[in-house]
Order: sequence, then structure tokens, then C-alpha cells
Amino acid sequence: MTGSAVLNTVAIGDIQAPHLEYGQLGPMLLVFGVAVLGVLVEALVGRGWRQFIQVPLTFAGLAGAFVWILVLGVKDKPLHVAAEGAVGVDAPTLFLQGTILVLALVSLLLIADRQNGAFTPQASALPGSDAEREGIASGTVQSELYPLMLFAVGGMMLFTAANDLLTMFVALEVMSLPLYIMCGLARRRRLLSQEAAVKYFLLGAFSSAFFLYGTALLYGYAGSVRLSDIATATGNNAGSEPLLLAGIALLSVGLLFKLGAVPFQAWKPDVYQGAPTPVTALMASCTLVAAVGATLRVFYVALENMSWDWRPMMWGVAILTMLVGAIIAITQTDLKRMLAYSSIAHAGFLLTGVIATSQAGLSGTLFYLAAYGFTTIGAFAVITMVRDAGGEAGHLSRWAGLGKRSPVVAGVFAFFLLAFAGIPLTSGFTGKFAVFKAAIDGGATPLVVVGVISSAIAAFFYLRVIVVMFFSEPAADGPAVVTTIPTAAAVALGATVTVVLGVLPQPMLDVAGQAASHLFVR
Amino acid sequence: MKCTTEGIAGFGCDPWWLIGGKALVIFVFLVLTVLLSMWVERRVIGRMQLRIGPNRCGPFGLLQGLADGVKLALKEDIVPAGVDKVVFWLAPVVSAVPAFISFIIIPFGPTVSIFGHQTQLQGTDLPVAVLLVLAMSSMGIYGIVLAGWSSMSPYSLLGGLRSSAQMISYEIAMSLSFVAVFMFAGSMSTSQIVAGQQHIWYGVLLLPSFLIYIITMMGESNRIPFDLPEGEGELVGGFHTEYSSLKFAMFFLAEYINLATLSALATTLFLGGWHAPPPITTIWAGANSGWWPVLWFLIKIWAFIFFFIWLRGSLPRVRYDQLMKLGWKVLMPISLGWILLVATIRTASREGLNQTQLLIYGGITIAVVLVGSFAWDLVATSGRQVDPYAEPERATAAEPAQGGFPVPPLDLPHYHGVLPETAARKEVSSGTH
Amino acid sequence: MDLYIPIIVLGVLAFGFAGFSVVMGALSGPKRWNKAKLEAYECGIEPTPQPVGGGRFPVKYYLTAMLFIVFDIEIIFLYPWAVAFNRFAGWFGLIEMVLFIATVLVAYAYIWRRGGLEWD
Repeated sequence: MTGSAVLNTVAIGDIQAPHLEYGQLGPMLLVFGVAVLGVLVEALVGRGWRQFIQVPLTFAGLAGAFVWILVLGVKDKPLHVAAEGAVGVDAPTLFLQGTILVLALVSLLLIADRQNGAFTPQASALPGSDAEREGIASGTVQSELYPLMLFAVGGMMLFTAANDLLTMFVALEVMSLPLYIMCGLARRRRLLSQEAAVKYFLLGAFSSAFFLYGTALLYGYAGSVRLSDIATATGNNAGSEPLLLAGIALLSVGLLFKLGAVPFQAWKPDVYQGAPTPVTALMASCTLVAAVGATLRVFYVALENMSWDWRPMMWGVAILTMLVGAIIAITQTDLKRMLAYSSIAHAGFLLTGVIATSQAGLSGTLFYLAAYGFTTIGAFAVITMVRDAGGEAGHLSRWAGLGKRSPVVAGVFAFFLLAFAGIPLTSGFTGKFAVFKAAIDGGATPLVVVGVISSAIAAFFYLRVIVVMFFSEPAADGPAVVTTIPTAAAVALGATVTVVLGVLPQPMLDVAGQAASHLFVR
Repeated sequence: MKCTTEGIAGFGCDPWWLIGGKALVIFVFLVLTVLLSMWVERRVIGRMQLRIGPNRCGPFGLLQGLADGVKLALKEDIVPAGVDKVVFWLAPVVSAVPAFISFIIIPFGPTVSIFGHQTQLQGTDLPVAVLLVLAMSSMGIYGIVLAGWSSMSPYSLLGGLRSSAQMISYEIAMSLSFVAVFMFAGSMSTSQIVAGQQHIWYGVLLLPSFLIYIITMMGESNRIPFDLPEGEGELVGGFHTEYSSLKFAMFFLAEYINLATLSALATTLFLGGWHAPPPITTIWAGANSGWWPVLWFLIKIWAFIFFFIWLRGSLPRVRYDQLMKLGWKVLMPISLGWILLVATIRTASREGLNQTQLLIYGGITIAVVLVGSFAWDLVATSGRQVDPYAEPERATAAEPAQGGFPVPPLDLPHYHGVLPETAARKEVSSGTH
Repeated sequence: MDLYIPIIVLGVLAFGFAGFSVVMGALSGPKRWNKAKLEAYECGIEPTPQPVGGGRFPVKYYLTAMLFIVFDIEIIFLYPWAVAFNRFAGWFGLIEMVLFIATVLVAYAYIWRRGGLEWD
């Protein structure tokens, strides 16, 4: 009867309002708020106007959030735990969120570019049906895309900032669910796109379940889902060891899935290939940043004291990821698929930074993420430009001799590939150098050796594309290069950042170093 | 453990014989209510239709329900060849059992003494008692869906699907109508809710909630004017087309028990439960103690059951799209708006806003909403006339050639007395494109 | 747990009754075999053959079920809020719920405008 005793002693007004730091949560609230506004626009605005309202709205929301983050980073001393401990607003978080927002803005250029026609006018229409033809003829667009993108970006921001596992899970879902839908919106090769969406959804739901189960086990161990409480509990050796280890393993499965680390990489090639290329660019950059951010926070804060236990596992995963990504990429003939495997290999490089568990490792990873994000968006943007009658010319053989026909586009693409390979004077080199150096300092030399080997393997297939583009004869009916202003702007931005971070990396390295100087807040 | 306190602390300490006794009484009460309400329904409907109704079995035909039951038991129990046997057998049970269980948390009266044992006249009470009723009504939907599916007959399947879609749609509005009650009672336990209505019934205080509940109650019970799942004219008998004998009787039983449960819930939540109606308490102080409250309770639920029957005698059946529109587009927004209004007024009065301020702010809000809706109406209607971007999916849905089969349009001339010979060419050209 | 025992007792009683009735119905009635009687009832015409796996039925029902889940979850959040309503201090409880309901209503407006609530 104790429960009813409590019931009888309720006093009026004994539930106080929680303390919410609206200023520090502002960027996320802004993005989510604009997303909700976007849904309202979808509901109330006529079909012809939606696109013209949604694009500026989305742009304003993302840009506003980015400015807000800059203000927070400059003015505030950002080391807070906000929203009653659910969200950590600290320097690495702000760096990651800022990166996500900038990359999302660049992706928005691709997504909003109507001329590249990557999106289906009517996602619900059956491929090849009359309804679909009618939709294409009417020139409409599925402008729900923009609110969906904002929800995904908001979820990514929360994912990197989540300071307890439940918030992290909610963020994981908020970021994943819109992406599942966005994957299925490709205009060409609809069935492939829908297959990608369903695969991503099923595997993603499965990995979310793993994540949630791991959360439950860790809660059973520590009696709290707060990352800092779990860290304290592991420090005190408080609970049952098997519960903790199983919890770590399951949680890692959820996180590594989002990263696309081997052995949880199977979704990545299919999804990257099937999704509309602008969405692939968004996923390859922003989602990766968010996933690495959350992984960093979990391993740096909650499982810091357990590093002896998880390090062997993460070593294995990192080595496998680097090697498998690089080796399988060699056999790929589709460019998007090849970039997907390259993204898997890069996830492996990023994991070496996570394993370092040091300030240098954190700053190196942050820098790597920013540099890689820009390069990968640029590369996918180039892919959207090279087109033939059936849409994008994704097959490698179609790119033969592109260097002779459009030397600039082929040259920029070659440059991006060299940056992926980590050739000096590109941002890829600086990033890899920063991460590997931190790993060596952390005593993970064998890991770095594997990393260098797999970089060499990767360089092979990047060079193969360059060889195909520049040293083979162009086919008579080869693809045309279609240049539109937004896409060209995205490519230019990607290329510029790749050059600048390669030639003059120091300012950015300083920012990343500063952001990492206090590690994560607890 | 002593159970002298009122409220939820007074439950859970009955001796075993009292638990069993209460369960048995509730069970018998329900079965008798079903038998009696069947008779009442047929007699009342008969009177309303200027007939006499059943009057042969027993005095005034009172035993008609029992006779029907016996007849059903002696009929052949047909299990059609194609059915999914296990589910087909299970569905009537799944339908009937939850219907019984809901009634356990209905308060019949206050604390009384039974063989020297102080106990409250209620099977049991939970901190989430009303949730139990909602859960059980959802379980009952399983029975209907499974019956429709396992019969492997188009009529049954459609009936089951329609029924479940209707019931879940109305469950939303119904659940929303409870929120304001919980807000006032500060509890979901039925005894607390009844105790909270000592001075004024929630049905008076929260009249919109009460009205919404009454409407959703009709939808939940699958009765006229919302009895589309059965829709004799189109679906024969709906989900129980293939059922016969006592399996059919179980569905029948469940439907009438649900009627009683919904009436009892309405009484408990909105009409003061077992509290005596107001004029009685002013002249007779003892009306709310001892066994008398059971009488008030029974009067109230029978009034509701009569109301159900009266509606059946008066109203025609609505169309399915009208039904769904009412549930989703009318009842739900009104419920949500009403909840917010109640919450705002309560918070305002708690935070010490005085009446004048309240009225001013309330007036401004209502004015804004009215002007807004008026403006919206203008925009929406003008937009519809000139909007060149009409939704293509709706346009395709109106095509007469649905699913590849040519369907003649409804406005064919020969439907209106024009000779078919002259209309034939036109029909073909417009019907098959 | 004591509070739940009567529920179980009545449940067992009801299950016993329903189970007994269903079995009794099968045993007490006559059994006269007839092929036509065992076919699905379709007003006397030859029954349509049932497609494998139940066949396809309109997506509307599925949509309704999904919407039901969305709004039912909204209600699940409303109930504890309503029960604890008298215990809130200040306006925060109200404002949070207004924001929550407004967010759900945005989705509601979207479905409405897209014809998700139409039943033709």
C-alpha cells in the first residue's frame, strides 16, 4: 500500500518545471522548429509554391542554426550539461554540430537543384505506372524532402550532443527515419531506390534494437542511462561484469552500424547506390559525422575506464573495416558503389582516432570528419553532373575518356579521389596524418601500419578511375556533363575546402585542437 | 491487513471468498443484464415500431433471451471447410472474455458490510483502472478481426476490417474525452473518479467531453447509427457471417456486455457513479450510504441502455465515409481543443488570474480563432476553384475504370428515365476509356 | 498484486464460461453433412475462391491503423499529464502540452490536407 500512500500525499504544485537552457539548445530547437514549419508549409501551401518556400526556409533554418553555434562557440565558454543532463553542450559537440550544419547546407545545394532531377515527382506512384508519368509531366516535386532533411539534420545534431543513452536513442531514430524515406525517392531506377530504402530501414531498425538492448543492459549495470554515471559505475566496479560487457558489445553494434564499420557494413553499398545521389552525399557526410560524434562521446565518456576491455574489439573492427573497405572497392565498377566502399574504409581510419582515446585523437578525428565531409560531398556532386539519357552515368566504363571531353570536371573529380587516397597537399593527407599520429602516440602502431597499407590499396582503385578518365578513348555516345549553378557551387566549395585544408590546414587544426582541448563534458 | 480507508487503499484486502463472490456476482449480473437487455430492446423497439414484440416466453416474454440461447445451443455448429480452425474457434472466446473483465473495476456502490466484512462494492480498483477498460476494449477488437479473417469469406473479412477500423478510430476520440475527467479527478482509478463527483457530476462540468463520449460510445459498440460492420444490406452479417450456434452467441453476448460496460463507464465517469441524483440527496441524507447507491447505479445504466435502444429505433445508418469523417475530422479536433481549453482555464485560475482577465483573454482567443477560420475558409474555397495543381491521386480515384474494370458512371442517362437505346453509345464511350 | 487478483478470477470465470459454451455448442447441436453448407456464405451464389494468404485489401485500413498508433501514443502521453495536472507549478505544464499537441496537430493538418483522412 505504499504506492497509494504516496498518492494520497500529493501536494498542489509539487512538480516543478525542469530547467532548460534554451540558449544552448537553440540550434537544435531552431532546426526542429523550422522542420515542423516545413510540414505546415506542406499542409497549407499550394503545390506550385511549396518548393519556392521550402528551399529558402530550409536554408535559413540551417544557416541560422550555424550562426547560433558560432555565437555559442565564440561567446560562451561552452562546457555545459543542458536540459537536466540530457544534452551535453561542449566544444567538440559544437564543432561537430557546426560541421554537420555546413555539410548539410552544401548538400542542400545538391538537393534543391531541380535541374539535376534526382528526385521522383511522386514517391507513392508505382514505378512505370501512369500515375508516375503524369507526375513527371506535371513537373511537381515531392517537397516533403526538405522537412525530412531538416528532421534528419536535427536528429544528427542531437545524436552528437546526447549525454544519456536514451536521448541518444531518440536522436538515432529521429535522424534515421527521415533518411530511410529519402533513400527511396530517386527518380531513375526507382526499384533499386526502393530496395535501398527497405534494406536500410530493415537493417537500421535491427541495429536500433541492438542499441536499445545495449542501453537496457548498461542501465541494468549502472542504474542510470547517463553517460557520466555509467563512467562512475565502471570506475567503482559497481555491478555485474557480464551485463556491462554485453551492454558495451550491443551498444557498439548499434553505433558501428551507423558508421558502416565491418562487419556491419553490408547496407552501405546498396543504400549509397540506390539512394538519390544528393541524399547519398548527405548521408556520406553528415550521417558519418553524427555517427562518429556519438561513438566518440560514448567511448570517451561512458566507457573511458573500460578501454582495456573494448580496445581489442575496436582494434579488430578498425583493421577489418579498413582492409575490407579498401579491398572490395577494387572490384567495383559502379562509381557510387565504389565511393560507398571507400566510405567504409574511411570509417576504419576514423575508428583509429576513436581508439586513441586522447585529446590528439579527438582533435584529429574532428578535423578528419570536416575534411572528409567536404571531399565526399564534392565527389558525389560531380557524379550528379555526369549524365546520359538514363540519368546519371554511374558505371565506370561510361566515364572513359571524360578527361578529354570535360577536363575540368574530370580534373576536379580526380582531385577528390586523390584527396580520398590521402595524397599530400590535399585535406585527406592532413586528416589521415592527424589521426594516425594520435594513434601512434596512443600506442596503436600496428593499426597505423594496417591503415597505411589499406590506404595504398585504396590508392590503386582511385588511380584506376583516374586512368580510365584520362587515358582511354571517349565512347561515341558517352555521357554529357551537365553543369548547373548550385551543383557547380557545391563542387567548387568541396574542392576549395579540400585544397585549403590540404595546403593551409593549421587554422582548422587549431580550431579542432581547441574544441578538443577539454574533451567532452560529463 | 485492515481495509477501512476509502479510495484505492481500500482494495486488495478482501478475503478469498469475497473475491470469488464479487467475481461471481459481476458475472451473473452481466449475463442477466444481457438476457434482460435483449428482451428490453426487442420490446422497446417493437413499441416504437407499433408492434408488440416478444411476449410468449414467460411473463411478458421475459424469458425470450434464455429461449434464444437454448435454441442456439441446439442448432448445428457449422465450421465451414476453408476456415482457419484454431483461430475460428478462438475468436469468439477472445471476443467474450475481455468484455467480462472490463466490468471488474466498475464501482457499484460505497463501502458496505458483507457478513461483517467491510468492503467496497467494486470488484477491484487499480491506479490505472480506466486504462484496463480501454485495453480490454482493444482486446475485443482482436476477437472481431480474427473472426473476420479466419472465416476466409469476403463478407467476413470486410466486416472484420471495417469494424476494427471503425473501433480504433472512435477509440481515439473516446480516449480523448476521458482526459478532462482525469484532470479534474487527478486519478484514473474509478473509485477516485466517483468520489470526485460527490458535489457535481463531471457530465455537467465537462459537458462537451460527455457528449463526445456518448457519440463515440455508439461507434465503439458497433450499433446503429454506426453499425456498418454488420451492415445487413451489404455484408450479410459482417464478421460473424460464418458463425453459428453458441459461437455466434458469444459474439452476441460480447456485444451486449460491451453495451452494459460502456453505459456503466459513462455512469462512472460522467454521471456521478453510484451517487444519488441531486434532488434526492437534499431531502434524504442517507441516499448515498449502505446498499441504496446500487439502485441509483442501476437506474443510471439502464437509462443509458434505454438511450441506446431509443437511438436504434430513431436513427438511420450513416455511410462509412461519413462515419470516418465524423471520428477523425470532427470529434478528434474538438476533443483536443476542449482539453486545451479546460487545461488553460484551470491553470489560469490556479495561477490567480481573475475572472475578468480570463474572460478578456478567452474572448480574444475565440475571436482570433473565429476570424482565422473565416479567413481560412475564404482562402481554401478560393484556392480550390483556381488551383491548377489538383492532387493527381484523387483525380485517378474518380476514374470510372477502377482497377482495370470498366465501371459505368453513376449519372448514366438511363438511370434517369432516358431510353437505353439512345444512351448506349454514350455509355460505352464514357465508361471504358 | 492483490489488486489484480479479482481481475484474474473474473477472467478465469469468463474464459471457463466462454470455452465451455463454444465446446458445448459443437457437441450439443445436430451434425448433418452437406457440402454446400460448408462453403463460405455468399448469399447463395458460388463462393469466390479465396486468394492465397487472404489476398489484398485496400491500403486505407493500414493507413488508419498507422494513424491510430500515432494518435494513441499522443493520448498515452496525455493521460499521465492529465492525472498529474493538479500538481504542476506554474504555466510550464500547460505550455509544454500545448506545444506537444500543436506539433501533433501539424502532422494532423498534413494528413488532412493530403487526403489521408478521406474515405472514398
